[in-house]
Amino acid sequence: MGLATCWFMNAVEHEAGEVARGLRRRDPTLLDHLIQQYHYRLFRYLLMLTGSRQEAEDLFQETWMRVLEKGHQYNQRWKFEAWLFTIARHLAIDFLRRRQPQSLDALLQPIGTDRPLELEDTTFPSAFEQAFQGEEAASVAAALAHLPPSYREVLTLRFHEDMELEEIARVVDSPLSTVKSRLYRGMAMLREWLKDVYA
Amino acid sequence: MTEDIHERASKLIDKMQVEGLTAEERGWLETHLESCAQCQKQARETERVLRALRTAVPQFDVSLVLTTQMRARVRARELIENTARMRALWISCTLSWILGVVSAPLLWRGFEWLGYRWAISRPVWITGFALSWVAPAVVVAAVIAWRHARGSRVITDN
Repeated sequence: MGLATCWFMNAVEHEAGEVARGLRRRDPTLLDHLIQQYHYRLFRYLLMLTGSRQEAEDLFQETWMRVLEKGHQYNQRWKFEAWLFTIARHLAIDFLRRRQPQSLDALLQPIGTDRPLELEDTTFPSAFEQAFQGEEAASVAAALAHLPPSYREVLTLRFHEDMELEEIARVVDSPLSTVKSRLYRGMAMLREWLKDVYA
Repeated sequence: MTEDIHERASKLIDKMQVEGLTAEERGWLETHLESCAQCQKQARETERVLRALRTAVPQFDVSLVLTTQMRARVRARELIENTARMRALWISCTLSWILGVVSAPLLWRGFEWLGYRWAISRPVWITGFALSWVAPAVVVAAVIAWRHARGSRVITDN
């Protein structure tokens, strides 16, 4: 078991090293491969964060351009996906800031426990729901649409990406306790919204 | 008391999904769930919600990948070419600076001689010397600044 873990860790580190070297060289083949490998996960994360397909698509492209430009800054001690999501997050925040000229806290952090921040989007939540396929997925999307973006974000990092809590805290640049509380509240709200669907 | 037990069970049900449970917590929860229909229901609901969340699949336009790959290739080529050009520029600058330092005494003497030959006052020929010495650096700095501004504009436009 110990040996297997050690081998796995070495393999992960080796892969991260390869990615870091390739990004420094701006190797287009590596970038093709990375886009192919992470496209779906990145898109899902951006969709969760922005709540809009169109914006997620725009930010998707911008994120990869930024990866290309800032590739030399990638530290191979980080998992590539964590770094990728951090870049995407910063771009999304810039975007949200342009759309809603408020403070960052007001944009991504819910105010109080019972007043989740809603994005001021007239197409919301229908645009968000339409981005999902299947009846059950649409119900989940409808429930997610009522959650603040910061809750959706941690839920997707935890339950879609299976990230460790510490990793999530690093990506969202918040204390571990904040991440946990968002996860608990997000789960509770999601359960509440879906209660009727599953009744 | 009963309320506390259910509350603890409820917290552990969520904790199991978020942080995981210790063996002791897991044992306690399993025992409680065996005898509590209400908490069992909550555990089932929680699992169902998270399963639904995990399997909720957003539709993805595959052409977005191809478009992004194409854009990335073009941008990568631009950046590589730009880096090569900038490297050449920096090498030229360094060589020029070294040459400037080495040739400074000679140039000084040249300006001094010209000043003497054509009866130009000392402050004037010293100013001429200083200008001729810094002019290449000013031109290069202007080129770099212009290129930088142009590069930023291209990124913004894209």
